[in-house]
Amino acid sequence: MFPAQHENLQIMSHAVVGFPSLEENEKAIAGLAEAGVRLIELQVPFSDPVADGHTLVNACYEALKHGGSVRATLDLAQKVCARHPEVTFVLMSYLNPLYRYGLEELFEKAAAVGIKGMIIPDWPVEEIEPWLPKLDALGLAPILMVTPNTAPERVEKIAHASRGMIYVVSRLGVTGHETQWGEKFRKYIAEIRKHTDLPLAVGFGVRTADDLNALTGKAEVAAFCSQYIEWQRDEGSEVAAEKMKKVISEIDTATT
Amino acid sequence: MIRSDNGYFGEFGGRFVPEILLPALTQLEDMFFALRDDPDFWQEYVTLCQEFSGRPTPLTPLRRLSKQLGGAQIWLKREDLNHSGAHKVNNVLGQGLLVQRMGKQRVIAETGAGQHGLASAIMAARLGLDCTIYMGAEDIERQYSNVFWMRQLGSKVQPVSTGAQTLKEALDEALRDWAASVETTHYVLGTACGPAPFPEMVSWFQGVISKEIREQAMRQIGRLPDEIVACVGGGSNAMGAFGDFLDDPEVALVGVEAGGISFEDGQHSVRLSHDTGETGIAQGYKTLFLQNDDGQLGDTHSIAAGLDYVGVSPILAYLSQQGRIIPESATDDEVTEAFSLLMKTEGIIPALESSHGLAGGFKRAREMSPDQHVVINLSGRGDKDIFNIARAFPQKEWTEFLQREAARSTELLAQKRGH
Ligand SMILES: Cc1ncc(COP(=O)(O)O)c(C=O)c1O
Repeated sequence: MFPAQHENLQIMSHAVVGFPSLEENEKAIAGLAEAGVRLIELQVPFSDPVADGHTLVNACYEALKHGGSVRATLDLAQKVCARHPEVTFVLMSYLNPLYRYGLEELFEKAAAVGIKGMIIPDWPVEEIEPWLPKLDALGLAPILMVTPNTAPERVEKIAHASRGMIYVVSRLGVTGHETQWGEKFRKYIAEIRKHTDLPLAVGFGVRTADDLNALTGKAEVAAFCSQYIEWQRDEGSEVAAEKMKKVISEIDTATT
Repeated sequence: MIRSDNGYFGEFGGRFVPEILLPALTQLEDMFFALRDDPDFWQEYVTLCQEFSGRPTPLTPLRRLSKQLGGAQIWLKREDLNHSGAHKVNNVLGQGLLVQRMGKQRVIAETGAGQHGLASAIMAARLGLDCTIYMGAEDIERQYSNVFWMRQLGSKVQPVSTGAQTLKEALDEALRDWAASVETTHYVLGTACGPAPFPEMVSWFQGVISKEIREQAMRQIGRLPDEIVACVGGGSNAMGAFGDFLDDPEVALVGVEAGGISFEDGQHSVRLSHDTGETGIAQGYKTLFLQNDDGQLGDTHSIAAGLDYVGVSPILAYLSQQGRIIPESATDDEVTEAFSLLMKTEGIIPALESSHGLAGGFKRAREMSPDQHVVINLSGRGDKDIFNIARAFPQKEWTEFLQREAARSTELLAQKRGH
């Protein structure tokens, strides 16, 4: 399940479905679960991933060549949700593949195979709101994004529509580059907490154990994605899982 | 000019962007909505277009060609005579006025044919702004003369080598840049696509074309034309040419898309006319996209880089659905033929994009009677297509010249390195 507010920092990691291949996805996810990861995003690859940096863009292109799709994601989710009940799986996708599949049917199937939440970066809160009764009935949590330039009234609106957790985009830009975690970031987090009791998942630029330690005590979840995909790309899923295990062992334990 | 219902035109349009871009889009929309109701702003814009770009552009009768085709009287709206050589500069000058009001010091743009990039580079030079243009690596090869001038003007041209390396990828990359730079940078989107308010705003600025057509037709023809024809890439020159006539049902509005090589997947850019496009949501807006069953955007092809695009203006998608515009297409071969015909019969060198409008317009004019009038929007001039046309009509002298020029240029570079 999603962590409770102020629980110890934990990692959310990532799979791009079809990258490097559909079979490899299963092994990689098993490796992550074994390493102690309890939250995993399953990303539907997309031809035009505008919120992603080069690592995930290229992984998407590769994944599309190797059978990545909405259907493949649901199939994979069905297997891994059953196999790893200790892990919470979140569907990450741009809107169009889901829209084309049929949103209502997609939501029903995703919930049925065991997916617990969804991150859809190009689906604004106004468009999500009408779906909330349906999503609540299915127990499928829309995890909405807040960014450093989101006005307080809008943070309020987004917090109101979010379920499970809120995805805090750490800085301007796309995925895959470094982030600074100074005083400005602390204030940003504090401002969001004024509007919600949900746990916060911080993403964009979480690449090292130092980043994780900087987030300890500030957030409940750190999205450790592009760096993991780079390990997977360069050294294979097994080494990537070992590295993930090492990073997790280096997190100081402290509560928020 | 058409107004959206909260960013939507029927079911199309909207604003589907990462949260980070929202504040900039709402700021832009608020500013645009206030300014478009201010007659002084329109006057400021028209004066700028006149002083800097030579507007109004003429409405030119094609007497010899009309006679030769034996149908309707054909007129060209001469957007090719704009400074920079295409209609794209209208929108860019308009957005330049907004950038000045916002006080931003940097602009970015996507470009296909390079005309929008060139216009943006010109505006940036004139206003002293930092400018980066995203352009597909494939399009850079196709439109190198525009790339050359953008760089000379002081803009950075950033090649985009993901996917098919054309306009769609350039737009994705511009959005990524904007997500990082939005607080200091304005994104000068070049066509009537993308998230609200861009489709509505770009169409509004381009609407100067149809306002002039109306006046000129009344003066030169004595009445409104029977048809207005324009090529459709993203849809900005078409919306510009059609905009003022949406409530004149006697004026047929015809949009010509790129038929490419065939209707096979990946060989054309036809989204409106043959049920090839399917409703989708990408690149910030909802429209008809070429896409597969999984919702992945498809590959496109056109001889004209500026029409080689996977989506289409949500306004045109809506007007097409409503039956207000007639979608047509022209193949690469029909386009080079129309290009040649205009050049040889009337002494005008059209852009390959605009030649789609010519091909579609000539075909329709042939079927009409001599007392009818067709206006074709000549969106741009063909200078930028010198290499493409040379390829379509190979000449020994041209190839030999290129070899001599390559040798000279290599020598110059070596000398420069030597110093
Ligand atoms: C001369 C010319 N015409 C037409 C277009 C197509 O764009 P739109 O459909 O927005 O007018 C372009 C785009 O680059 C162009 O350069």
